[in-house]
Amino acid sequence: MHFSGSQQIKAPAAKVWQFVLDPNKVAECAPGFKTMDILGPDRFKPTLAVGIGAVKATFTLDVHLEDVHEPDHAAMRARGSAAGSAVDMKAAMDLKALSESETQMDWTADVNVSGTLASVGARLMEGTAQRLTARFFDCFRQKLEAPEPSAAPATPVAPEASEAS
Amino acid sequence: MTTETTPIRGMGHSVKRKEDPRFLRGKGRYVDDIKLPGMLYMDIVRSPYAHANITRIDASKALALPGVLAVITGKDLDEAGLAWMPTLMGDKQMVLPVDRVVYQAQEVAAVIATERYIAADAITLIEVEYEPLPPVMDPFKALEADSPLVRPDREQKTNHIWHWEAGDAAQTDAIFQQAEVVVKQDLYIPRIHVSSIETCGCVASFDSVEGKLTVYMTTQAPHAIRTVFSLVTGIAEHKIRIVSPDIGGGFGGKVPVYPGYVIASVASLKTGHPVKWIEDRSENLQADSFARDYHISAELAATKDGAMQALRVKTLADHGAFDAAANPSKFPAGLFSVITGSYTLKAAHVEVDGVYTNKPSGGVAYRCSFRVTEAVHTIERMVDTLAQQLGLDPADVRMKNFIQPEAFPYTSPTGWEYDSGNYPAALRKAMEKIDYAGLRQEQAEKRARGELMGIGISTFTEIVGAGPSHTFDILGIKMFDSCEIRVHPTGSVIARIGVQSQGQGHETTFAQIVAEELGLPVENITVEHGDTDTAPYGLGTYASRSTPTAGAATAVAARKIREKARKIAAHLLEANVDDLEWQDYKFQVKGSPGRSVGMKEIAFAAYTNFPSDVEAGLEAVDYYDPPNLTFPFGAYICVVDIDRGTGQVKIRRFVAVDDCGNIINPMIVDGQIHGGLTMGMAPALMEAITYDENGNMQQGTFMEYLLPTAMETPVWETDKTITPSPHHPFGAKGVGESATVGAPPAIANAVVDALSHLGVTHIDIPITPWKVYAILEAHGVAEL
Repeated sequence: MHFSGSQQIKAPAAKVWQFVLDPNKVAECAPGFKTMDILGPDRFKPTLAVGIGAVKATFTLDVHLEDVHEPDHAAMRARGSAAGSAVDMKAAMDLKALSESETQMDWTADVNVSGTLASVGARLMEGTAQRLTARFFDCFRQKLEAPEPSAAPATPVAPEASEAS
Repeated sequence: MTTETTPIRGMGHSVKRKEDPRFLRGKGRYVDDIKLPGMLYMDIVRSPYAHANITRIDASKALALPGVLAVITGKDLDEAGLAWMPTLMGDKQMVLPVDRVVYQAQEVAAVIATERYIAADAITLIEVEYEPLPPVMDPFKALEADSPLVRPDREQKTNHIWHWEAGDAAQTDAIFQQAEVVVKQDLYIPRIHVSSIETCGCVASFDSVEGKLTVYMTTQAPHAIRTVFSLVTGIAEHKIRIVSPDIGGGFGGKVPVYPGYVIASVASLKTGHPVKWIEDRSENLQADSFARDYHISAELAATKDGAMQALRVKTLADHGAFDAAANPSKFPAGLFSVITGSYTLKAAHVEVDGVYTNKPSGGVAYRCSFRVTEAVHTIERMVDTLAQQLGLDPADVRMKNFIQPEAFPYTSPTGWEYDSGNYPAALRKAMEKIDYAGLRQEQAEKRARGELMGIGISTFTEIVGAGPSHTFDILGIKMFDSCEIRVHPTGSVIARIGVQSQGQGHETTFAQIVAEELGLPVENITVEHGDTDTAPYGLGTYASRSTPTAGAATAVAARKIREKARKIAAHLLEANVDDLEWQDYKFQVKGSPGRSVGMKEIAFAAYTNFPSDVEAGLEAVDYYDPPNLTFPFGAYICVVDIDRGTGQVKIRRFVAVDDCGNIINPMIVDGQIHGGLTMGMAPALMEAITYDENGNMQQGTFMEYLLPTAMETPVWETDKTITPSPHHPFGAKGVGESATVGAPPAIANAVVDALSHLGVTHIDIPITPWKVYAILEAHGVAEL
């Protein structure tokens, strides 16, 4: 499944860049995020609880950052497995400064889900995967545009996490 | 003596099924009902990928879970030489993979635990690392030179499994070159799943004191399984007992040996405890063997006035990753060559190529008598295609081309000798019953008003009862079948049969055969089957073979008993053996009806007062090797209405005239036909298994895999003609699959007929509302 999107974020490009290279911040945007092991600057393992329809699975993803070209391009690939299911993903994003306080993010993602989740949730797969992927990137924007003190409520993340988990 | 007052109720009686009281009261004993002391439970880790290398399996977390006793992987089995097993088709199949998986949901490892739920939890704790490989999903692409290999373990570095053909290619080609008319049609018969209500499973119990392995197993062929188990494991065959208890539907899906049976047996040997394994519904749908999946290209040569002359067929058969169907050795494409159907043809040539793909094993015979469904669908669609092209009525074209009743025994262009038939009589009966002429008139009127109504015919010939030992074997074991009968002193009987019932009603119908032959009441006859320690050897129940083979053995064994009984009767009546005749279920002295003796008195005498030159007791066994197959047939007519707003096809009427020769129990035959018609409607309108490009099976639950319920099932109108088989001991033919084979083309022909005036010439099954609506839209007749 191939998805892509574009969004304008009311934040300077440097701030956006910093955000997307911080695995802890990115992981919090991932659907059903539970825990995270950081193995190195470009390798980390988040655990995500994802459901499609009635089927739920907890994935441990092995994420590699690659092709990082500061200040405007980064890509990652991830592979994860859960009981009877697996996910393989490649994603890339490009940043473009629109002004000093506004940045455009263009992203693409290729997601392959295999196993029980794909078999049992086939009817819902494309729609769910697209929604979760779009929300993942949209969450960046929400977090970056949130008021400075990080007392920001977790509401932007919570609804999709509960729906997805 | 009360024999005279208790009715015999042999052949032709609608005796209520002896097995039903236990089923209706919830007292059936299925594999999952079996609980043995100390029994452990097994669950299976399955592959999410259709094609991948396995780089690591880490079971440590699962083994740390309290209640988990063992984890079994391919490496463990490999050390015991059991990582691979032979299939019933002479291929080999992974039990558990050592380093790679070849279809999604393939077994990867097994957990043995003290409770079912602990086992289910533990499989989620086993970490398996995969390296995905490109899956081979399309059988046509699989044959291209640059395709990845599904089975690099084989010597032949190709995805092609086998080529098989029948008929005369040169003669067929010559007719095609001269033909006035040639019609051509590609057909795809999609992959479907057996979906019996009971999934597969077993309880394996190794007794370490006796050194004996007992496996209660959802199998249709317990004896063959015992032999294969013995050959694979090296355990002596008398130390293996396979019990097939009550089985909740087989339909061909319970003929193959599934890895779970073998792993559970190994687990019992390893732990010293009985081990139960039962698939859940999604595992059953995703991983068990599949049926159909034939890509067919057919051509029919004919004259301008519709006389059929020759048939040419090329087929690609998608067999998945292992050739694990259970077709007879010489017939890798089953009996597909019966594709010339009920029609006289001068020549035919049919080719099938088996192909490996990254899907579970295909080619299982799902209620289709070894690929006859695919054959019948093809020829019945081709006859209609010819009629449509020539502007002729499909009933007329059939009548014109039928093999005539006086032409039997008839040798088909592909070499089958049809034993008997009367096709025009069956079609006439169906046409009268449904008022064919009236329907055509109604259709013309409706068409003028823009309403879509279609009439479809299928006049199929089945080929069942495999089979004669000179032609048929599975792994070398000839396809005879057997019966052993013992008459007790008080005139009751136990009959043990080599076949096995999965709902066919053998405990009733086989008792009726014995009742008829021996003149003893059906109530007093017990039929046992499915336990290899007690039943005589047989090849099992599938392909509508039970009545033609074991049914015949039962009659012949009973007749052997009757011949011995004649000697005892002569002794009792103080008459000469040659002076006795079997009349009205009794031996009587010719010309003296008053001097007679029944089987009940003879049975008592066989133990208390037998002549000096006769052994005591009254029993016999017969292993019956049928001289030929039997050829049931039928004429089905279906009327459909199509909703222009939704594309929904509604079966308004369906008349099924079946001929299965002499009938043992009309009620059971009717039940078989009702069930078969429903199971024929389902693939015609609803069922199909599909895969995405990554090899994920897309119908993992009954939400996506549509089975018909009472809501979708129309009222079936059944009738019969009777053309006895000339070679079967009591003239029967087998009926279990006739309706499943005959129904789909009747429905498909009806839908195409409803749309033929729009220029529609073919629709592949399943004919879903979506497919029909797209056609309606394309022709501008859809209602919004």
